[in-house]
Amino acid sequence: MATLTKYPTEALKCWPKAKEIRQQYYKDYAEAHDRGGIRWSGGAWAFDAVPMGLGDDVHVMTGEPYAASIAYDRKFAQECQDATDARGWARDLCSYMRIYWGSMYLNRFFFGGEFPRPDFYYQTQICCSHAKWDQEAALHEKVPFYCIDVCVGPYETLTEERLNYVVKQLHDSIEGMEKTTGRKYDDEKLIAAVHNECRSTSLWAEICTLNKAIPAPLDEKTMFSLYVLATLQRSSKKIADFYEELRDEVKDRVARGIAAVPYERCRIITDTQPPWGFLKIYRYMEQFGVVSVGSLYTFGLEGIFGDQEDGSWGPRKTPQQLGIEIKNRDEALRITADWNLSRPQWQHFYDPRIKTRMMLRIVNEWKLNGVILHLNRGCEGLTVGSSENRLGLIKAGVPVMTYEGNMADEKEFDERRTVSRIESFMETLGLEQIEAARAGQAA
Amino acid sequence: MVEKFKEWYVNRHAYAKQWKERTGGKVIGTFCTYVPEEILVAAKMLPVRVIGSHEPQDVTEPHIFGMFCPFCRDALAQGLKGRFQYLDGVVLAHSCIHFRQTFNSWRIHLPVEFSYYIPMPNTVQTPHARSYHKGEVEKFQAALQEYIGRPITGEDLDRGIRILNRNRRLLRQVYEYRKLDSPPLTGEEAMYMAVTSQFIDKEEHSDVLEAVLKELPGRKLPRDPGIRLMAVGSENDDAEFFKMVESVGGTVVIDEQCAGSRYFWNESVPNGDRMAAIANRYLDRPPCPVKDYPSHSRFAHVLNLAKDYRAQGAIIMQEKFCDPHEGDNPRLKKFLEENGIPTLSLEFDSTNPLGPFRIRVEAFLETIRGEELF
Amino acid sequence: MITAGIDVGAKTVKVILMEDGKIKAKAKVLSGFDQEESAKAALGQALMEAGLSREAVGSIVTTGNGRKAISYATDDVTEARAAALGAVFLYPSARTVIDVGAEESRAIKCDPSGKVLDFAVNEKCAAGSGAFTEAMARALEVPLEELGPLSLRSTQTIPMNAQCTVFAESEVVSLIHSKTQKADIARAVHDGLSSRVVAMVRRVGLDPELVLVGGVAHNPGFVESFKRTVGLDNVRTAEEPEFVSAIGAALAAGE
Repeated sequence: MATLTKYPTEALKCWPKAKEIRQQYYKDYAEAHDRGGIRWSGGAWAFDAVPMGLGDDVHVMTGEPYAASIAYDRKFAQECQDATDARGWARDLCSYMRIYWGSMYLNRFFFGGEFPRPDFYYQTQICCSHAKWDQEAALHEKVPFYCIDVCVGPYETLTEERLNYVVKQLHDSIEGMEKTTGRKYDDEKLIAAVHNECRSTSLWAEICTLNKAIPAPLDEKTMFSLYVLATLQRSSKKIADFYEELRDEVKDRVARGIAAVPYERCRIITDTQPPWGFLKIYRYMEQFGVVSVGSLYTFGLEGIFGDQEDGSWGPRKTPQQLGIEIKNRDEALRITADWNLSRPQWQHFYDPRIKTRMMLRIVNEWKLNGVILHLNRGCEGLTVGSSENRLGLIKAGVPVMTYEGNMADEKEFDERRTVSRIESFMETLGLEQIEAARAGQAA
Repeated sequence: MVEKFKEWYVNRHAYAKQWKERTGGKVIGTFCTYVPEEILVAAKMLPVRVIGSHEPQDVTEPHIFGMFCPFCRDALAQGLKGRFQYLDGVVLAHSCIHFRQTFNSWRIHLPVEFSYYIPMPNTVQTPHARSYHKGEVEKFQAALQEYIGRPITGEDLDRGIRILNRNRRLLRQVYEYRKLDSPPLTGEEAMYMAVTSQFIDKEEHSDVLEAVLKELPGRKLPRDPGIRLMAVGSENDDAEFFKMVESVGGTVVIDEQCAGSRYFWNESVPNGDRMAAIANRYLDRPPCPVKDYPSHSRFAHVLNLAKDYRAQGAIIMQEKFCDPHEGDNPRLKKFLEENGIPTLSLEFDSTNPLGPFRIRVEAFLETIRGEELF
Repeated sequence: MITAGIDVGAKTVKVILMEDGKIKAKAKVLSGFDQEESAKAALGQALMEAGLSREAVGSIVTTGNGRKAISYATDDVTEARAAALGAVFLYPSARTVIDVGAEESRAIKCDPSGKVLDFAVNEKCAAGSGAFTEAMARALEVPLEELGPLSLRSTQTIPMNAQCTVFAESEVVSLIHSKTQKADIARAVHDGLSSRVVAMVRRVGLDPELVLVGGVAHNPGFVESFKRTVGLDNVRTAEEPEFVSAIGAALAAGE
C-alpha cells in the first residue's frame, strides 16, 4: 500500500433530522387512532403509496425496520423471540418476523405502551416469509390482510401481461381498503404519493451513486441510518424532501473531499442486513483502512437504479423527470408497479446471476477491493443465492469473504469467530492495522 | 403389482435412460409439482420430477448455504453427482425461494438444451391469477414449440390432458381403498405409488394402476393396521420413515404432501379453453403453503382428508428450514387438535434418523391408544 | 533470533520454539480454564526442554481461539495464516491446508509463501470438528484415541443419518441397541465428520496438493474416511499435525 492519506471528515448536518423523522413516525403510528386516523402495518416492500389515497391521517408501521430497532435492544429482542418460540414457531424463521410477532403477542410496543393494532395489513409477496408474516399477524389481530403477489419474474423480462397482473391486484386492494375503513379513496393523493415514492427512491439511488467518489462521503454504517427512512415510508413527502436535502449535503461533501472514514485505503461492499447488535465490526475494519461504501442491500433495497446515458449505473429517472403526467388511478398504479418491479433487490429472487452482475457493476464503478457477504440466517429472502453470488464474484477475480450471522438473533452470531475471519481477510488483502486509526477510535 | 412402484422408485434413473433410448423422446426435469405437465406430455416428452436421494452428501456446500432446506440441497446434489445426466431440459414453476436455488444452480452449472422458468402466481386465491397464469402457460407452450421445432396442436394438448387426468383419477381410486378398515396397501406402498407417477411415463404408470385396482379387492395384508395416521408435509418421500411408522403399530392411510396427494388430487377440467383448463388446474389444486394466500385455504382440505380417511392422528413432517411450512404448522397443528386429531410434529433433515423418530412416534401412538381406552 | 509460537487452542495449548528456521523445542498442555496460565506453563516446558531462559526469546506470536488472551505476546496471527505458514514450511508444495481442530475446522487455499488466498470455516456447529468424534466416542463408551483404530476394523458402511451432534448421539445409541458392530458405528461417525469437512473444503476448491493438519489428523479413522470421501488414494497428513499452527506462529514471530 502506498503512503497513508488522512482525509478530512465531518459529521453529517442532517443527521439529527433523520433521527427526528424516525421518532415522529413511530409516535404518529401509535397515536393515529387518538386523532381518528388510520393505521396499517406490513412490510417495507409493500406498495406504501397505495394506502395514502385514504387520507392524510393514514399512518404506517413497516415491520422490518420496527424489528431492526428492537434488535439493537438485545434483551427485548430476546424476550420477543422467546414469546414467538413459545407459540411453536420454528426458530430458524425470519428473525424480524419472530421479533415483530413477539412484540405483538406480548402486546408491548418497543416505543412504549401497548402494541398498536393496525386497521389492516398490506404486503407484497416475493419472499416466502413476508406473506406468512402478515398472514399470521392479521389473524392474530383479527384485521384484514391484503397481499399483492409480485412474483412475475425479473424486471428484464417484464411484459404487459405481467405488469397487468400486479396492477389489477392493486386495484382490488383499494376496493378492500375502502370497505375496511369506510373511507372514499382519493386518487389525487395517490398520484402525489407515487410522485414522492419515485422521487425519494431515485434520490436515494443518487446519494448512493455519489459514493463512487474517493474518498467516499458516506460509509455503510452511516447509510444504515439513512436508507431506513425509505423503508419506513418512501411515498411520504417529508422523506422525499429529506433525501433532497441529504443529496445536496453529500454532493457538497464530495466537492470538498470530505470522507466518512479518515484512513480510507480499501473499499468494499457487504451484503444483506448486518447483525444489528454488532455494528462495531464495521468500526473494527476501519482500523485497517477499510471502508464499506454500501451494499446492494443499502443501495437497492429501496433505491431505484437505472442505466445512465454514459452507460454507468445511477438513479432511475422519475416519471416527472421524463415529463410523464399521471392522470388517473390506473396510471398511478401502473407506474408504482413498474417502478417497484425494477427494484434491484427483487431481482435475485429469480436468478442469482442478475445480482452477481449488479454486484460486479458496483465493484467496478465504485472502485472496490473486495466484497464481504453476510450469510444471514435471519433473512432467507436476501441470503437466497448468496453462495452462487460468491462463486460468480470469485470467478470475476474479486476477493470475497463470507461470515455467518443473523441480523436480529444474536444467538446465531459468533463475534470472536467473525472478527477472526475479518482478520484473515485483511491478511489476504495485505492490510495491517493502522495504529493512528486505532488510536483515533479509542480517543 | 404393487411392488412395481418400489422397483421403479429404486431404479428411476435407469428407467428414464431406457425410456429415452426406447422412444427417442426428450426428458425434462420438473422442479416442484407446479409445472404444467400436460404440455410436456402433449409434446411427447417425459417429465421427471427432480427429487433427492436421502443420502448424506458433501457437494452442494459451495452452491446453497446451509440455512436452506435439506431437500433443495439433496436434489441439487443428485445433479452435481451426475445422476440426472439424461435430462434434455429443466423447468421450474415459481414456488419457494429454497427450491428456486436448486433450479438456478442447476441451470448455471449443469447446462441443458432447454431451461425455462414459469413465473407462476404465488397468491393463487386472487381472481386475477387465472388470466395471468393462462398467459404464462401459453408462453411456456410457445417456448417448448420453439425448442422441439414443431407445433403442439390442440389435439396434442387434449391427449396431454387426457393422459394426466387418467393418471390422477386412477391414483384417487386406489387411495379410496385406503379408507377401508383394513387398507389393502400400506402407507409406504402408497407413497411409492404416488411419487413414481411424478417420473414414470404416465400411460405406463396408469396401466399398472389399473392392474393394481383389479388386485386390491382381493389383497389382504398380514398385519393389523393399528392406529390410522395421516402424513402432512412437503416433499417428504421418506419411505424409510413410513416403513418405521408402520412397523410400530400404525398405518398411514392418507397424506397431504406434494410427494403424494397434493400432486394428483384434482384434474384439468376441459371447458372449451384448453389452456385455461390446464392453467386453472394448478391454481385450484390443494396448495402448497407457499401459495396459500391470503387465507389458509389448505387447512380445511387437510381436515376433510383426515375425516374422510378416518385418521386418528396426524404426523406433520416438517422439512427443516422450510419457511412456507414452518409458517403454517403451528396454526395447522392447533386447528387439527381442536378438531379432534392429535398431531405430532417432527423435523426432517432429508436423511432419516430413525432411532430418535421411533421413540417419538411410539410415544405418540401410545397417547392415541390411551385416549381410545376412555 | 529465538522466536516462540503459541497456539492457544480450544482443548490444548501448543508451543514451538524456533531459531533460524529450525525447531528447537515443543510443548503441549491442556488449555484448562485459564488460557494465559496454561500458555505460560507450556512455554515454560518448552524453554526447559531447550535449556533456555524466558529472556532468550525475542518475539512471541500467538494464534488459536485464545490468541488475544495472552498478555505477554508480542503479536498474534489468525488461525488461517498460522496454519498456512506452518504447513507450507513443512510441506512446500502444499496449496490447500485442511485444519481440523477440537472446536473448529477450516480449509485454506494458499500461495507458495504461505499467504492465505481464500479460506472457509466450518458452520457454527460441532458436527464438523473434533468435538463430534469426542461426543460419539462417549456414546460408544470407547476412549477417544481408540475410536480411529476401531473404525478401521469396520466391515460395512452404514450411513450416519443424523446431521447434528445431539441427534447423532441418540442415533449411535439406537445403533448400539440394534446390535450394530461398534466398529461399523465408529466408521459411520468418521464418515459423517469427513463429509462435513469435505463439504467445507469444496467451498475453497479441492486441490490434490493438500495437507491435513490439526489434532484430528492424528485419528487414522478420520483420515481413512477423508480419503474415501474426497476420492484420493493418498492424503498427506502432517507428522505432528497439532503443532503446525504453532510452527506457523513461530515463523510469523520471526518475520
